[in-house]
Amino acid sequence: MKECKIVSRKFAIEGSHTLEVAKHHNAYRSLEKRGEFTPTQMIKIIKDANLRGKGGGGASAGEKWELMPQDGDKPSFLAVNCDESEPGTFKDRQIITYDPHLLIEGIILTCYAIKSKHAYIYIRGEYKEYQDILQNAIDEAYEDGLLESCDITIHRGAGAYICGEKSALLESMEGKRGHPRLKPKQKEPEWFFGNPTLVNNVETIATVPFIIQNGSDAYREYGTHCSPGTLLFGMSGHVNKPGVYESEFGVSMLEYIEHFGGGVKNGKKLKAVIPGGVSCGVLTARECKDLTLDYEAMRTAGSSLGTGGMIIMDEDTDMVAVLKNILEFYHEESCGQCTPCREGTGWSDKILQKIVNKRGTKKDLEKLFELADVMNGKTICVFAPSVSSVLISFITKFRDEFERAVS
Amino acid sequence: MSEICEVIVDGEIHEAKEGSLLIDLLIEEGVKIPYFCYHESLGADGNCRMCMVGIKGEKRPQIACDTLIKKDMEVFSNTDVIKKVRTDILELELLNHPVDCPICDQAGECSLQDFYMDYGLHESKVEIEDKVKNSKHVDLGSSVVLDQERCVLCARCTRFTTEITHTNELGIVGRGDSAKVTTMPGRELSNPYAMNVVDLCPVGALTSKDFRFSQRVWLLETHNSICHGCAKGCNIYIDHNKLKYKDDVIYRFRPRKNLEVNGHFICDEGRLSYKDVQENRQEFSTFNHIEVEQDIAISKFKNFLEQHHKNIHILIDANLYTEEIEAILEFAKSIKAEVFSPLEVYTDEGFADDMLKCSNRASNYKTIENLNISTENPNNSELIINFNHPQNFESLMQIDFCTHKSDTNSLVFAIAAFTENEGSLTNVDGITQQTQKAVKKNNPQPSIIEWLTRIDL
Repeated sequence: MKECKIVSRKFAIEGSHTLEVAKHHNAYRSLEKRGEFTPTQMIKIIKDANLRGKGGGGASAGEKWELMPQDGDKPSFLAVNCDESEPGTFKDRQIITYDPHLLIEGIILTCYAIKSKHAYIYIRGEYKEYQDILQNAIDEAYEDGLLESCDITIHRGAGAYICGEKSALLESMEGKRGHPRLKPKQKEPEWFFGNPTLVNNVETIATVPFIIQNGSDAYREYGTHCSPGTLLFGMSGHVNKPGVYESEFGVSMLEYIEHFGGGVKNGKKLKAVIPGGVSCGVLTARECKDLTLDYEAMRTAGSSLGTGGMIIMDEDTDMVAVLKNILEFYHEESCGQCTPCREGTGWSDKILQKIVNKRGTKKDLEKLFELADVMNGKTICVFAPSVSSVLISFITKFRDEFERAVS
Repeated sequence: MSEICEVIVDGEIHEAKEGSLLIDLLIEEGVKIPYFCYHESLGADGNCRMCMVGIKGEKRPQIACDTLIKKDMEVFSNTDVIKKVRTDILELELLNHPVDCPICDQAGECSLQDFYMDYGLHESKVEIEDKVKNSKHVDLGSSVVLDQERCVLCARCTRFTTEITHTNELGIVGRGDSAKVTTMPGRELSNPYAMNVVDLCPVGALTSKDFRFSQRVWLLETHNSICHGCAKGCNIYIDHNKLKYKDDVIYRFRPRKNLEVNGHFICDEGRLSYKDVQENRQEFSTFNHIEVEQDIAISKFKNFLEQHHKNIHILIDANLYTEEIEAILEFAKSIKAEVFSPLEVYTDEGFADDMLKCSNRASNYKTIENLNISTENPNNSELIINFNHPQNFESLMQIDFCTHKSDTNSLVFAIAAFTENEGSLTNVDGITQQTQKAVKKNNPQPSIIEWLTRIDL
């Protein structure tokens, strides 16, 4: 398996989170390139590299950057999404722990491209420990005069999963309840207090320095045509070496698990994989067989790549219990704005509790399908549709287990 | 963007402004559309997801409250798919609802009930013990009581306090099905328009302490009227009921939409002013506080007029209907009396705000001004005939026409209040509006016009 370390290049270096060590290993070198490009040219490089948003959606980052006005009369802002709360996902925190200066470097470049003077990092409330590391790095960068062109402020979240949704994140940053906003009628930037704002994931921003320094072609050497570059894929669950390991897109999923994860724990057989955090549909071992880790292949398989945080489950896993666990999370985390999601997640969780308690009936399974239907495509954000696809994928793919549980 | 274009709704062609909200068109054209969170005054929030319609070219049903009208748009509101979507979402709205309609004050004017009759009619699939339990009685302040279990979280009330009154007392706390409306810590709902949240609430979650448990709404009769609390002329509904063997009683005033005058709201003081109209009323004609027959009162009136020929001064309340004021002027001319309507007494600077409340608290003072009636105080009066004006001035003799009990020793004629009579008023902005006669009392007091006709000199 090809070694590729674009974002994780300095992860293994002792003390890499300090400015001194980071600089010793060529941190902030890409800033020298800034003078060579105009902001518009820089956006073009990112677009040509086809850098795709690494927070789960996989949308083109360059196209998003293009939506930012280059000569507007309002100030522009950058909001870095570090509300990493998706179960199974723990990649952004690796960047902050081991290479916070890479993120800062990316922020400086991005702010240059979108002509922003102020960047916010929205970090989940539970990441206090990582926030401190990040703040130290920012302080170091200020002292070193690196942050003359833009300011960086960390905004700490209050523990709501939904604040990872970009418009909810901005609502939260504005001091309101983290509720996703109604979608605009045309393509436009996000808005922070009425000012154009770009929201990107930590890893997306951390990829920017490599692309600016080495050019878009260098980035496209990795990965597939449609999913170029690399991702900090991760593994948790029944694997021997859970963790975050960077890899290019398009590699075989099973090989990745074998190579980096050391295979399924205790020599057991693989039963299923949730490919990119719990909001992606589950895949059976058979479906994983020839599957590659890229956005397109995942979509064809009926799931999605999400954040690339894989949850590996061995042959002894009780799928009813897994689904119950996931629904418990969704029940807790639905923001409660749209009716189908607010009531649908709670009801599904209660039905699953009934099934786990061996009081479920066949009708309950039907009800879960009905609820999945009501939750799909009828809400403001994609929270409920994700729950819907999770419910459907689990119950259809492991139908016999669920039927046994209700008989 | 504001060009008129054609839109096809369920096969029928309608005209609407391009770029306006689809839901407004549907409501205006009477197309059946269920919704909780949308309100004309608050705009779209898109949280209830009830107003789903099919739109040609769109893969999925869309919410009408967040859909802008486009030229040649084709909308479907009654296909099987749409009906099913509405039924399914309504089922979820009702999931944690206590369904305590028999003891709920909103019953009869509840959107949840109405939509259930249109789209629901299903058996409940959840057991009562599985429902989320919440507080049934939260005193929010300003006579508003919240039942968190009945709430559908449409956020109309919270949006009202953020967007309309800018007082921000209400908010939603908690996530998912634990979300609930509450006041901000240490605060209570307290602003001069607070009780409008009761009307805004589409269900029985917010009820008024003043009205709750007093009447079933389907027993109430409703008439259109104008609030007499100040010169703004806010449009109201008078909800009243005449119980068997009892008198006709007003139970509440509610705001009536008029975008030119009051929008959708009224102030709490105006809302509660129905009490003052009914309380402490002058029921009969009296002389020196002793009840007298109408005929005797009339002959006494004539006697007084014969005794006093000079300096007869007439006082007019600036709250009377224009028709009444004109009749009084006619009468004044016939007895050669001078007419006054001192307006200073109605001024209340502390009452005014920049929303609806205005400092002049006489609902028809504009007519007094328009008819060039003197607003000075009467001087050297021999006989004063006071048509309900709140002030008394010195005179040798006084005759009063009163809606409410008066402590003068004079001859007093009991007259009908504005709710028992109809007429027109001109508000502070010069807009003339009509009221309907609402209350029909068992022993009605004659109106001023009726009295003057009977007195007929």
